[in-house]
Amino acid sequence: MNSASFFVLGVLPYLAVVVFAAGMINRFYTWFKTPQPGKMTLFPAGGSATGGVLAETFFFPSLFRGDRVLWFFAWVFHATLALVFLGHIRVFTGLIDRVLMSIGVSPEGIDAMSSTLGGAAGVVLLATGLLLLFRRIVQQRTREISNFSDFFALLLLIAIIFTGDLMRFGTHFELAETRAWARSLVTFSPIVVNNGMFQVHALLAMVLIIYVPFSKIMHFGGIFFTQALIKRR
Amino acid sequence: MSERNVRAEETVPEHDGEKAAQARPGDTTPRKMVPGKEETPVVVDLPKTEREPRDVAGEVVGAIGAIKDGPRVLKTYMETCVKCGTCATQCPVYFGDPSKKYNPAARSDLIRSIYKKHNTRSGKLLGGLVGARDYEDREVEEWVEHFYSCTGCRRCATFCPMGIDNSVITRKGRAILDKLGLTPDTMKRVVEISLETGNTDGATLEAFKAAIEFLEEEMRDEHGIDIKIPVDVEGAEYFYVPPSGDVLVNPEATTGIAKVFYVLGLQDKWTMSSRLFDGANYGLFTGDDKSMKADNEPYIKEAKRLGAKVLFMGECGHAYRIMKMMMEPGKWWGDLPFEIVNCMEFTAEKILTGELQFDKSKNPQPVTYHDPCNFGRSCNIVEEPRIIMEASCQDFREMYPNRGDNWCCGGGGGLSAMDDIYEFRMTITGKKKMEQIRDTDAKYVAAACSNCKRQLTQLMEYHKEDVAVGGVHDMLSRSILINGKAAERVNYDD
Repeated sequence: MNSASFFVLGVLPYLAVVVFAAGMINRFYTWFKTPQPGKMTLFPAGGSATGGVLAETFFFPSLFRGDRVLWFFAWVFHATLALVFLGHIRVFTGLIDRVLMSIGVSPEGIDAMSSTLGGAAGVVLLATGLLLLFRRIVQQRTREISNFSDFFALLLLIAIIFTGDLMRFGTHFELAETRAWARSLVTFSPIVVNNGMFQVHALLAMVLIIYVPFSKIMHFGGIFFTQALIKRR
Repeated sequence: MSERNVRAEETVPEHDGEKAAQARPGDTTPRKMVPGKEETPVVVDLPKTEREPRDVAGEVVGAIGAIKDGPRVLKTYMETCVKCGTCATQCPVYFGDPSKKYNPAARSDLIRSIYKKHNTRSGKLLGGLVGARDYEDREVEEWVEHFYSCTGCRRCATFCPMGIDNSVITRKGRAILDKLGLTPDTMKRVVEISLETGNTDGATLEAFKAAIEFLEEEMRDEHGIDIKIPVDVEGAEYFYVPPSGDVLVNPEATTGIAKVFYVLGLQDKWTMSSRLFDGANYGLFTGDDKSMKADNEPYIKEAKRLGAKVLFMGECGHAYRIMKMMMEPGKWWGDLPFEIVNCMEFTAEKILTGELQFDKSKNPQPVTYHDPCNFGRSCNIVEEPRIIMEASCQDFREMYPNRGDNWCCGGGGGLSAMDDIYEFRMTITGKKKMEQIRDTDAKYVAAACSNCKRQLTQLMEYHKEDVAVGGVHDMLSRSILINGKAAERVNYDD
C-alpha cells in the first residue's frame, strides 16, 4: 500500500462526501430562498404542477417534442446511468443480494443478472456517452455554445464509464474486496483495495463527485426548480 | 411605413429630435404625465459627466451580480443550462438564420458566463473550466444587437428539457442596456411617449375623442342604431383597457366589444377612460421595471377611481400578461378591489351560453388565428379566441403548430415597433411565420395583439401576399347579430 492509493481510497472519499454535501446544500438553499415575485407559468399546462415536474425529470417530454433524436440518446443515457447507480449499491453492500435472494433468486442467478444487465448497461452507457460527445462536436448549434466545461463533464463521465467497463470485461475483480472497503470507510478505518483499475476508476469518480455541485451536472437538482417555475399554476 | 407611426407623429407635435434628446439623460425635473393627474417625477438615471468617466464594466458586472438575490427564475437559469442546443431548433430567429449570434443559449451565455465569473465560487476559482469569463471592454455595444434580436416569445422554454425561459435573460440584458442609456431609440421613444401622454401612440385627448366619435358613427351606419362607447363613466362595472391601436389603427376590435356589451344589455355598465386607453407597456420590453410600473400604476388608480369591478383587458397580450401574471400576483399595488378579465374570455363565455348570435356568411373567407406569445404561452388564452372565430366565421382553419407551440410572428419583445430592423424582421424573424400562414391558404389572419398585427401586416406586404390582418373581435363585429341583423357593410379594406 502506497500513500497515493491510500489518499484516493482512504482520504478522498471523505473529502468528496463533505464537498458534495456542502455544495449541494448550499445550492439548494440559495435557490430555495431566492424570491420569485410574479408568475412565469408556461401554458398550456394540464395536470398538477408536481406531476409535470416529475414527468419532466423522469421522461423528458419537452425534449421529446423538441428534438427526438437527442431525446432518445439522452433518455437512454440517463436511465442507464440510474441503473448503473443501483448496480453500484451491489458493489458496495450486500443489500441488493439479500433482497433478491429473499424473493428466491439464487446466488448464481444474481451473478448472471449482474453480468448481463450490468455488462449491457456499461456498453450502452459508453456508446450513448460517445454519441452525445460526437453530437456536441459535429452539430453546429451545440458546438457553437460549448466551452471547456461542457466537454470536461462529458469526458470525465466517459472516462469513468470506460474504466468501469474495463474492470467488468477485463481485469479480475472481487466483490468482497469492494464491500470490505465500503465497510471500512463507514467505520472510519479505511483500507485499500489493491486493484489498479479500481483505483483509477475511484479517483475519477471522486473528482466527479467533487465537481458536481460546481458544474452543469447540477442540472439534476436544478430541473426541479426551473421546471417548477414554468409549471406553477 | 405604418399607419401607427404616422398617427404617432401627427399627434405628438413636439416630440422629436432635439427636444426628446434633451429630455433624456440628465433630466430629473418632474414631468407632467397625464393631464389632470398629479405630477410624478420620472427618475432618469444620470450618466456621469465627462470629467468622471462612467465605469461601464463595473455597472454591468454589478447588475449581473444582483441576480444572486433573485428573481429565482434568473438565478436558477444562471446555474442549470446543459447546453443541449434544443432551444436553437425551436427559435424563430435561429430558424431564419442559424448563426451563433442568434443561438438562444449563446445569447444567454453572454450574461451567464459573467455571472459565473463573479458570483460563483467555482467561477472565481476555475474560470473557463466551468464556463466563466470576465466582461470585455466595450462588449456592451454589441449586446444591443444581441438582446434586441430575441423576440422574447418563450418558445424555447416550451421545449427546453430544463424549462429555461431565455426571454427572462434577454430582458435582464435589455435592463442593463437601458441603465446604460443604450436602449434603441425607437424603443426608448415608445416608453417616453407612453409615460408622457398615457398611450404608446402619443394620441391626445382630442384625437381619442375624435376616434370614439368616428367609431360610434361607423356603428350607426352599420346597424342603424346608436351603439355607445361610454367614456369616463364613474361607477361602470367594466373598465375596458385596449391597446391604443385598437382605438386608433385597427379599431374594429373595439366596435366588436361595444356590440357585445350592447347585445348583452350592458351598454351602461362599461366604460373607457379618455386618458388611459392603452394597456401597452414597453417597460416589459426595455427591461426597465421602474417605467413598467410607472406605466402600469395609473391604470390601477383609474380603475379604483371609476369604481370598476372588472379591469376588462382588450386584445393585447403583453398588457394582459403584465396585469394578470406580474402585477396582480406580485402585489405591486397591494390587494385589488377588482378582477382582471380578458375580453376574449368574457365574449367566449357569452357565446357558449348562447347569448350572442352570428351571421357567419358575413365572413365567408378562410381565416386563421395566430396565437400571440403573451396570450397563448404566457396567459393560457388559447381556446377563447377560437370559440369567437368559429362562431363568427364560416371557414376557420388552424395553422400548425398552434396554441402553446405556435411560432412567434417575428415581432415579439417589442421588435415589431422597431423600424430600424425592418429587413431583419421580414426576412429572418418572420420567416417561419410566413411559411405557416401560407400553408393555411387563409385570406385573413387574426391576432389578438397590436404588435403581432403590425409585424404580420408588414410581412404580408413585404412578401406580396394578399392576406388581411386584424383582430378577433373584428370578425365578431362584422357578423354579430343585433336585433337579428348583422352589420350592413361590404368593403372592409378602406
